[in-house]
Formats: sequence, C-alpha cells, structure tokens
Amino acid sequence: MSESKRELIFSPILNRNPIALLVLGICSALAVTGQLATAFVMSVCVMAVTACSSLIISLVRKRIPSTVRIGVQIMIIATLVILIDQILKAYFFSLSKQLSIYVGLIITNCIVMGRAEGFAMSNPPLASFLDGIGNGLGYGFVLMFTAFIRELLGSGTLFGYQILPLTVNGGWYERNGLLLLPASAFFIIALLIWLLRSMYPEQQEKD
Amino acid sequence: MAVKESNIKPFYTALILAFVCSFLVAAASVGLRPLQIKNSRLDQHKNILRAAGLYKKGMAVDKLFASAVEPRIIDIATGRFVPERKIDPAIFNQRAAAIDPERSRALPRSIDQAGLQRLEKYSLVYLIKKNGRLSRIVFPIRGKGLWSTMYGYLALGADLNTVIGITFYENGETPGLGAEVANPAWQAGWRGKKIYRAGRVDFQVVKGGVQVKGPAALHEVDGITGATLTSNGVNNLLHFWFGKYGFKPFIDRLRQKLKRPPEVKNNV
Amino acid sequence: MNWLNNLLDKAAPHFQPEGRLRRWYPLFEAADSFVMGSNRRTSTAPHIRDSMDLKRIMVLVVMALLPCVFMALWNTGYQANSALAGLGISTPPGWRGALMAHIGCDPQNFWSNILHGGLYFLPVYLVSLTVGGLWECVFNIIRGHEMSEAFLVTSLLFALILPPAIPLWQVAVGISFGVVFAKEVFGGVGRNFMNPALAARAFVFFAYPAQMSGDLVWTAVDGLSRATPLTTLAAATHGSNAVNALNITWMQAFMGVIPGSMGETSTLACLLGAVFLLITGVASWRIMLAMLSGGAAMTVGFQLMGSAVNPMFAVPFHWHLVLGGFAFGLVFMATDPVSAPHTQAGQWIYGLLIGALAILIRVANPAFPEGVMLAILLGNVFAPLFDYFVLAANIRRRKLRYGG
Repeated sequence: MSESKRELIFSPILNRNPIALLVLGICSALAVTGQLATAFVMSVCVMAVTACSSLIISLVRKRIPSTVRIGVQIMIIATLVILIDQILKAYFFSLSKQLSIYVGLIITNCIVMGRAEGFAMSNPPLASFLDGIGNGLGYGFVLMFTAFIRELLGSGTLFGYQILPLTVNGGWYERNGLLLLPASAFFIIALLIWLLRSMYPEQQEKD
Repeated sequence: MAVKESNIKPFYTALILAFVCSFLVAAASVGLRPLQIKNSRLDQHKNILRAAGLYKKGMAVDKLFASAVEPRIIDIATGRFVPERKIDPAIFNQRAAAIDPERSRALPRSIDQAGLQRLEKYSLVYLIKKNGRLSRIVFPIRGKGLWSTMYGYLALGADLNTVIGITFYENGETPGLGAEVANPAWQAGWRGKKIYRAGRVDFQVVKGGVQVKGPAALHEVDGITGATLTSNGVNNLLHFWFGKYGFKPFIDRLRQKLKRPPEVKNNV
Repeated sequence: MNWLNNLLDKAAPHFQPEGRLRRWYPLFEAADSFVMGSNRRTSTAPHIRDSMDLKRIMVLVVMALLPCVFMALWNTGYQANSALAGLGISTPPGWRGALMAHIGCDPQNFWSNILHGGLYFLPVYLVSLTVGGLWECVFNIIRGHEMSEAFLVTSLLFALILPPAIPLWQVAVGISFGVVFAKEVFGGVGRNFMNPALAARAFVFFAYPAQMSGDLVWTAVDGLSRATPLTTLAAATHGSNAVNALNITWMQAFMGVIPGSMGETSTLACLLGAVFLLITGVASWRIMLAMLSGGAAMTVGFQLMGSAVNPMFAVPFHWHLVLGGFAFGLVFMATDPVSAPHTQAGQWIYGLLIGALAILIRVANPAFPEGVMLAILLGNVFAPLFDYFVLAANIRRRKLRYGG
C-alpha cells in the first residue's frame, strides 16, 4: 500500500469516507450533531484519538503478539479516550456536559478500531498517523455537515448564534422539531451518502 | 504482525504498555479531579444565581456566590435550620441523600405528586442577603416530566411568595417541546408570579396560555405549547415542593420569624 | 377522439429514446396514457392478478375516497361555521372571510358549510398535488421513468389526513419529504416500502409538533383552541367511564361530525369507501378484518387489565373505532397494495400487528394521543419480513411434502 501523504489525509473525506462508505461510527454521529459546537469538539476528539492510537499502535506493531493484539489496541485506545474525557471535564466543562457519555463512547467507535487493526498494524508510524488524521477529518466532515443542517433548521442557530429568529421567541422561523431529535441525522447522512455515491459511482454497491 | 510467537517473551511489551496506560489514566484522574470538582460546583452556583436573577454572562461567579449567598441546610419536615456543625452545606450532596435509605424516606403514592419516590430528610436552601437583610431565597426543586426527572431551582423574593426566577438545569424531555423548560424566554414568564394565596398554594401552569386578567393572572403561568405532560409535571412538582410535604413548613416558620418585629409594633 | 389519438401518435416518435424531446417522455407518456390508456404490464409491485392495471386501481381508490372528500368539505365547514356561531362572529377575518361574507357562515346552511370547508381543504389539496407532482416530475425526468397515477392518490390521502388549519408551507414541506424520502429514494412507484402519504404525515407530526399535536389546528378558525375527542379522552380525569368526558354521542363520532383531521373523522364515509374497495377487489379484506380483530383484542386486553390512573384503558372498542384515524387508516392506509404484504398469511399477521399496536400506542403512550399512523408505518416496515417468512415456510413445507 503506497499512497502519497496527500491521499492518506484527503481521500477519507469524500472518496473513502468512513461514515458514508462503510457506515461506521453512526451512533455518535446521531447523538452529538444537534449543535455544531458539540459536533466540532467530538470531531476533534475522534481525530486526536484515531491519529494518536494509530501512531502508537504502529510504533509497537512489531512487538505485539497477534494473539493479544486486539486487547492491546483497545487498551491504548481506551487510555487515550479517558485522558481526553478527563481533560475536557477539567477545562471545557460545559461542552463535556453536553457531550456527556459520548466522549467515553469513542472507545467503541468502530472507526478508531478499524483504522488501528486495518491500517496501523501493517503500516509505518507516519503513514498511520496521517491515516488517522484523514479518517478523523472524514468523520468530522460528516458530523459538521449533519450538525450544520440540524442546528440551522432545528434551532435556527449556527455555533449558538441566532441566524433564523424563531417563532417561539417572536421571530418568523418555525423550527423543525424533527431535526432536534437524534433520529433525523439518519436522513441527513442518507442524503449525504446519496450525494457522494452520485459523485463517485464506484462507491455504489452492486446488487 | 508480531515477529515470533514464542512463549512468554512478547507479552512483556503488552505488560509494559499496560503499566504505562494505567499510570497515565490514574495520573489524569487524580491530577485533574480538583479542577473537575471546582467546575461542577461553579456550574451549580451559576444555576443558583441564574434563578435568583443575579447572573450575568462573564461575571465572577465564585466571588459573588461567596459574598452574597449563604447556603443553609433545613429539615424539610420541621422547617427548622440545621446547624452547620451537624451537616456542612458545602459538602452536602442532596441528590445522593435522596436515594440513601438512611437519609430519606419512601413517599406514599398518594402524596407523591412530583413522582419523586423518595424524599430526603434535609434540603439545601440558599439565602441571599442585601445589606444584611434577606432579599431572595433559592430552593432546589425536581420532579417527573413526561420522560425524565427535571432538576432546577426556584427563587422567591423576601415576601416568600413572589417568584424571582426559575431555572431547569437538567432534563431529558423531548427536544423542542418539553425541553423548552430550559428556555429562558419561557422561564422569564415566571417572574413576579405569586405562589401562595391565603396561606395555601394557589398556582397553575395553564395549557394554552394564561386567559384570566387582573390579580388572578399572578397565580398562573403559561404552559409550554405542545408539551402538556411536561407542563403538568412542572405544575405538580411546584405543588409538591411548596406544599406541606415540601418547603411550606420552612417558609411558614421563616415568615413568622421575619414578621415578628412589625407584629410587635402592631400590638403596641 | 380520433384527432387526439392521431396527434398523440404523431408526436410519439419525438419522445422515443432517439427523438428530440426524449427528456420529456414521462410527461408525454402521462398525458398519453391518461387520455388513451396504456397497453403495458407492470414489472414491479403492486401486482394485481387479474385484468386490472395500476391506473385503474388508482382511479378506483380515488373514487372510494369520494365520501371522505365530501365529509372533508362539509364537516370542516360545519365545524368552522358552528364554532364561529358559538363565538358570535358572523364572518371570520382574512380572504376566506371576505369570500364567505357573500354567503354567510351558517352551520345550518349546507352550501355555506361546503364552501367554507372547501376554502380550507382545496388549498391544502392543491399544494399537496402541485408540490408532490413537481417532485414526481423532477425524478421521473431525471430517471426517464413514466409518470404514475399513484401520486394522485398519495396527494389526496395526505390532504385528507391533515388538520384543517395547517399552514400551507408545512403541507409543502411534508409532501416533499414523503415523496422524496418514502418513495423516490427507493426507486419510485412500486418500490416504496412505506406509504408516502403517511410518511409525510409523520414528518409533519414530528417536525412541527407544537402545531400538529396542539389544539389550535383542528377547527378552521384562526386562534381557536379546540381539542379532538381523542385528545380530550387522553386528558380525561380518572374515572371508570372516560367516554363521559366527551360531549359527543357515539353516533356523532360515527357520522364524523367532530373536529379532527379533515377526511378521517367520519367512520361512515370510510365504511362506504371500504365497501366499494372490497366489491371492486382493490383492497384486501384480510388486512381490514385482521386489523379490526387486532384492535379489538388489544382493547379487551386493556379493559381486563384495568388501570386506576389511565382512563384510556376503559374505552370500549366501538369508541376506538370511531375516533381519530382508526377507520381511515384501516380502510385506505393499511391496505395500500404497495406497502402491505402480498402473501395471505402475511396479510393476517400484518393486520393484527397494526390493529394491536394502534390501540397500544393510543392507550399506553402518554405523548401521542393517536397511534394509528405510527402503527401502520411500523407495519409497513415489517411487511417484507412477513412475506419473507411466509414464503420460506411455504418452501420448507413443500420440500417436506415432495421430499425435495
């Protein structure tokens, strides 16, 4: 597998997006996309975890016995996630309160495990690190896209700033209550997948 | 992949990694703990000040809270203050107390309007003084809405009847409907309302909005559009917490205490 | 008619795959088959195993809906006129009021009711038809599919299950969602596994719940708050007989002279439609009977269980049948040939499930007074699974029988 560094970082955004192509990491994509701020923090956290875990796992990949490799991977990922969760709680309290358990649940995010097992175990450290960054960006792109639509049409705000004045507060925009519910992210992600697969027909599954 | 699958040697790497990881996790947890506790306390203080109408964005919450707010513990049933040496308000955790069988009692269904199931023996109240005189008092409130227990604070003025403000800082109601209990615009409608009339709770959260005019309108507040059951929940928890099983004994007692000087004057 | 046929025949080559106007073939085909009929057979669901084609089914369904449409016109007007009379207002404000001023808002006057109801129903229907048709056109032109009459039914059904005072833009948003997400993403007519009209209704219900589950939209008078009988029931105070909380008789509810979604208040109109659909063989009697039995069984179960706090437990089934959308959903929604199962056993299970779920949601769920819409959508989701299991069981049985 010899890809250029550019490809490692940018192809997971549209071309090989972990959410849109593999439909991984959906759980948190539904839960934290009500607002751009939470989606952004979540994206950064996932990117950090994916990149760092891929880097560390790639560094020690030749010394991990294959019988316990999944356990070692999870241990490294869990440590990173707990560290990030603790730091958020200490320095970004209100955001961590809104993200509640979902930062902790990055441990179970299949993207992180998937890159560790699928890429970092068989590639050099730098490439693994860049691959982690790229997949984090791909995840973040879907989250931000979803959160943009959900926050704008659901709450009339972007990053908390009022864009569309709501009727409940005397404005003209009737907010869409469906978009406030996590399930609405399914529809938006579906639209995005539809869009991506029309742009890249090779992503379409064959019957 | 791993070089050679010999017996025990490769496991050293895993073992060392495990040690490093546990050390990091433990260090982060211990090292950041004070900061986290401080954060969560700050958040709570902010909510209390918000209910009391004293919070402004970017203010020094700590300083104001320390200077203006006096947390006290009361015995809910008798309505008396509990001395600080018996229970320290700074470390009293009311939510933990409410589920601790030693420090709470099960509520029979007939009086459990707010759906609490257990009621703690002691409660925090926050006295806010101005020039040495009581100006506001903040009560913690909670109760079942449609899906979840809603947690909040309600602040009364010095007459122990007029609402200064209400906040709900935690709820799991439907976003866009019941979760509007957290909307400041809705909460603003509570300001100046009166809870008691002739010594009894007389207050309604009204579906479809307050229709009556005049003084009666002071005893009603608009329900949340489309969230009848959450509104009912707010109504019920208000009736419970300001009724005789809630803060009423304390409020009656405090009112007597505050009234005493003028009463003496009248008698003369 | 000959000249028209000649004209169409002459124009046809231009729309063929190599013609100049090939992009617009769907529009041509729609016009052609609407006036002249088609000689093609279906290749996807709904399959009908006799001389009928999709077009005739859709026309028959529209005819079966006529009693409901009539009630939508008359009852919407009647409810509005009597509410106005109750308030002592002779004509409401707004453009409708200006028109109504010529005839007067008298609930005793049949034509006044029809006209006033029409002023609410027709705009909703037209928006639903135009916007839904527009999406249909866009997708058919992109994909080169033919226009289908199915969307005529979808847009009419959607208009009938909306409350009279719904803002028109919400109608447009709702039907857009229904057509695009419940039908076009799956490949268009015949490939949808959900009823698009119901999906549209569900979207509006969840997107604008403050209006759709509030009390302001059920009577076509601005700002008038009036609950539907079902909401009143759900909010009734504890009592053994919650039906007493309603100020209507069973007969009124059966006839449909109650506030509610425009076309679904009248059980009588639904019954007429049901008879028509059954005689013409368009709808499955199995699904109707199964849904009825499922609902009845669930109701009896709740009555036996009893509840001290929830008055809905004690509501008898003949009331459940005439309130809300149970009858309408039973006749027109659950039996939709595309989204219902095709095997007979599958239809029985499907109907029972929907009937039972509808009552379960109505009675036990505190948040939604109406459960029929959600029950049918859930039934739609399970329909292919039922078919799959019935087929698999059949194959297994035959294998055993013939020792395959």
